[in-house]
Amino acid sequence: MGIELITLLIVVALLALMALGVPLGITTLTVSLATAILYFGERAGFFIVAANVGEVLHKYELIAVPFFVFMANVLERSGIAQSLFDSMAILGGRFRGSVAVQTCVVAVVLAAMSGIMGGEIVMLGLIALPQMLRLGYDRKLSIGIICAAGALATLIPPSVVLIVYGLAAQVSITKLFAASAVPGLILASLFIIYILIRVRFNPALAPIYDIPETGLPLFQRVKYLKGVVLPGLLIGAVLGVIYSGIATVTEAAAVGAVGALVVAAVRNELSWKMARDAMRQTVLTVGSIIWLVLGAVSLIGIYNRIGGGEFLRGLLTSLDIAPILVIVVMMLIVMVLGTFLEWIAIIFITVPIFAPVVVDLGFDPVWFGVLFAMNIQIYYLSPPFGPACFFLKSVAPKDIQLQEIFAAVLPFIALQAVGLFLVLFFPDLALWLPNLLD
Amino acid sequence: MKRLFARYADVMDSVSVFIGHGCSVLFFACIAVSALEVVMRYGFDSPTVWSTELAMTLCASAWVLAVGYVTQRHRHISITMIETLVSPRVWRVMRLLQMVIAAGAVLVLTMALWDPMLKVLKRTEHSGTALNSIQPTYLKILLVAGCVLYILQLAANIIRWCQRTEGEIAGGH
Amino acid sequence: ETFSIQTSFNAGDFSTQYLTETWLPKIKEMTDGRVEIQLTPNGSVVPARETPDAVAAGVLDGDFTSVNYFAGREPAYAIMGDLISGYDTPQQMIGFCKDGGGEAVMQKAADAVTGGEVQVVACGPYSREALPARVPIRTFEDLEGKKIRSPEGLAAAVFQAAGASPVSIPFSEVYGALEKGIVDAADASAYVNNDATGLHDVAPYPLYPGIHSMPSMQFTINKAKWDALSPEDQKALRDWWYEAMFAMAAEVDKKDQELAARDGAGEKIEVINWAQEDRDQLREIARKEWENYAQKSDLAKEALDANLSYMTEIGLFKN
Ligand code: NA
Ligand code: NA
Repeated sequence: MGIELITLLIVVALLALMALGVPLGITTLTVSLATAILYFGERAGFFIVAANVGEVLHKYELIAVPFFVFMANVLERSGIAQSLFDSMAILGGRFRGSVAVQTCVVAVVLAAMSGIMGGEIVMLGLIALPQMLRLGYDRKLSIGIICAAGALATLIPPSVVLIVYGLAAQVSITKLFAASAVPGLILASLFIIYILIRVRFNPALAPIYDIPETGLPLFQRVKYLKGVVLPGLLIGAVLGVIYSGIATVTEAAAVGAVGALVVAAVRNELSWKMARDAMRQTVLTVGSIIWLVLGAVSLIGIYNRIGGGEFLRGLLTSLDIAPILVIVVMMLIVMVLGTFLEWIAIIFITVPIFAPVVVDLGFDPVWFGVLFAMNIQIYYLSPPFGPACFFLKSVAPKDIQLQEIFAAVLPFIALQAVGLFLVLFFPDLALWLPNLLD
Repeated sequence: MKRLFARYADVMDSVSVFIGHGCSVLFFACIAVSALEVVMRYGFDSPTVWSTELAMTLCASAWVLAVGYVTQRHRHISITMIETLVSPRVWRVMRLLQMVIAAGAVLVLTMALWDPMLKVLKRTEHSGTALNSIQPTYLKILLVAGCVLYILQLAANIIRWCQRTEGEIAGGH
Repeated sequence: ETFSIQTSFNAGDFSTQYLTETWLPKIKEMTDGRVEIQLTPNGSVVPARETPDAVAAGVLDGDFTSVNYFAGREPAYAIMGDLISGYDTPQQMIGFCKDGGGEAVMQKAADAVTGGEVQVVACGPYSREALPARVPIRTFEDLEGKKIRSPEGLAAAVFQAAGASPVSIPFSEVYGALEKGIVDAADASAYVNNDATGLHDVAPYPLYPGIHSMPSMQFTINKAKWDALSPEDQKALRDWWYEAMFAMAAEVDKKDQELAARDGAGEKIEVINWAQEDRDQLREIARKEWENYAQKSDLAKEALDANLSYMTEIGLFKN
């Protein structure tokens, strides 16, 4: 049987099991076990699956994942988002669309503390959305901003997506973090510019509101900075530790987790119950993630052994188009997978095949990682499987339907695509910072 | 007989939840060990030889042993969009299918992991680092333990499915 | 027949490309097309640590791997994988494998960790690592008190015995540690690689040729597949591998020497080449540590004895 046919069978089997609602980790595991046994017989088949599955537990960098998840869970349970938002509202002053812009800024700050998507959207959904709706902001604009800006958590470092990409592509996670910072800010700026343009042409979208403190002169408003100071210190600690080369990403994540607890303690919000609940939530999240990784790693190992990786790389490199268009093709594949697959599965299935091609074509795998993470941003928002939308739905007022959320994020998906193509055609946007640090 | 099964499901649920909560402690310890390493290395200029291996072992244990808790809470990641497209009766049957497939896959995985485990039990595998701990041996045993836990909890879930005592289902099987 | 062989070289490495482009076509030629080799990069099928079992199970047809990966399975692999401060040149150590009983010891180690389903065809190193340092370490005595990043195990033990203090930090942090002076010298890689990663910018006193590490590799084939080959093809495979390793050693050495000569002529970098008596002195110290380490298993002891007798034979030890 040719590799083309096997590839087709594998894809069909994966889709069938997924459609049946079988967990993704079990889906990939089942297909890899079946392929391994059919192809190599029981002994060799069992061995190759066992060896690859076992190796996952030896990946030191993966330890950063629970730490960053825990950090996000602690922040979510502390009132940091609320006080950030309040200080921003007062510091920012009043102009048309100010609350929407402040939401973006708060989202960026939260993103620099959180490495996972979800918690941030929940927080903003609980704090910023009611505020905007109460002030008479356009519903779709408000919803779209929260989903899009909240998703930045995995583009602006630290980011669990970049950690997993770094593991799969074998590139430096520190460099990935440095490279993704500017593109993250570019996306945030695009969102803000879009808001300002929209409200300028249609003032009804965002009425000017009144908080008494915003009328004060700037120097008096500065005292409301205190809500920003602690988060700022935490961000500085984590990113500082990473970029100064003091510690590994994993150790920085540990510092961040301890830092989050300290911040919560300083704010008088730390209790044993809070820390415990945050950790139990972490156990559930990470405990489900690990099976995705196990299954995907097992599948890619067996697929490589039967020559699949070679086959797909051959397909990609034999495309008779400019190298940059090969990258575009890869991005489109990721986008398609993003409509129905979980991001970890996407990374572990595509990156081991794509990354060598990217290098062969003469591109920087760090740059490709940033493109990948930006593509994951689109995946978060895009229907029908748009996790960011699901997260917002879980905390939004009951009368907001999922369809409305999906409609609301469409313009922001377009903005994400613009950002993606900017970095695609101007790689220096991503690469100058890591090159500077070199 | 029915009561015996129900009793098993109850006991299994509490075992999984208990172990799952225990995993939080492992993660806390893992954070502490990693943070301590930063302090030791940069505060006192004396990095430890044991922190990396210990942190990895603690984390790996929590990952693997959390599986019962995750399964008990139906938190495995799956695509459940199809639920909205089919009737509740069909979906109920599909859910059984999901659990049976999962149990089958994990059973085969356990068989695959079995020989490597026996092998390291006979001839201990060390990490080959300065600490030269038996971490590789431990991890191979740990994986089998995790798979067994997964299957036992799936059995409990299937019993609850049969007896219609599942309660609210949020995520995958 | 095409043998699928996993190597511990990474996909983009010089060695992978060099072997694929220059040497893979030759084996086909030498066997009149009966044997072809497909080289798959590190970890592409199974993790490097698992290759012996993968070859035994027939998942891989063979491996071409740094045997240090297996040190945790059988201590003899640490002795065979990198006899710290042992040989002066890769050629000497390839000689040990090829003519001095090295292969036989490797075969025993392979049999110890598998069920006798792995045939060791050949073994040996292809490069000697240089030692980038931020302060001059000109003689054996200069090692005293220096903080040296070194892999845990035998290397750390030897440096310690020589009066230095070994520091264990991840490879990813070597640059930063040298730059900030957390360590005085660092085990890294061959001169050419250290040059490429810019280590000499922060450690301008590289010791070259190096004084410590010379990682060794093995070439194995699944026993059943091996037995199915004709004696001529078996011989061809072995000859091919040794030729390739000698050629690769010469190639790396040439590149290293060019760069070292360039740097030596410049102002910024001082390339330090230890005198033979300093090297011999370190070897004597190291020998005690090897002997300590060899206590770990009977096979490790046997591996060391085989090395010692060959080293004595070629004059590295007086007795
Ligand atoms: Na982030
Ligand atoms: Na999507």
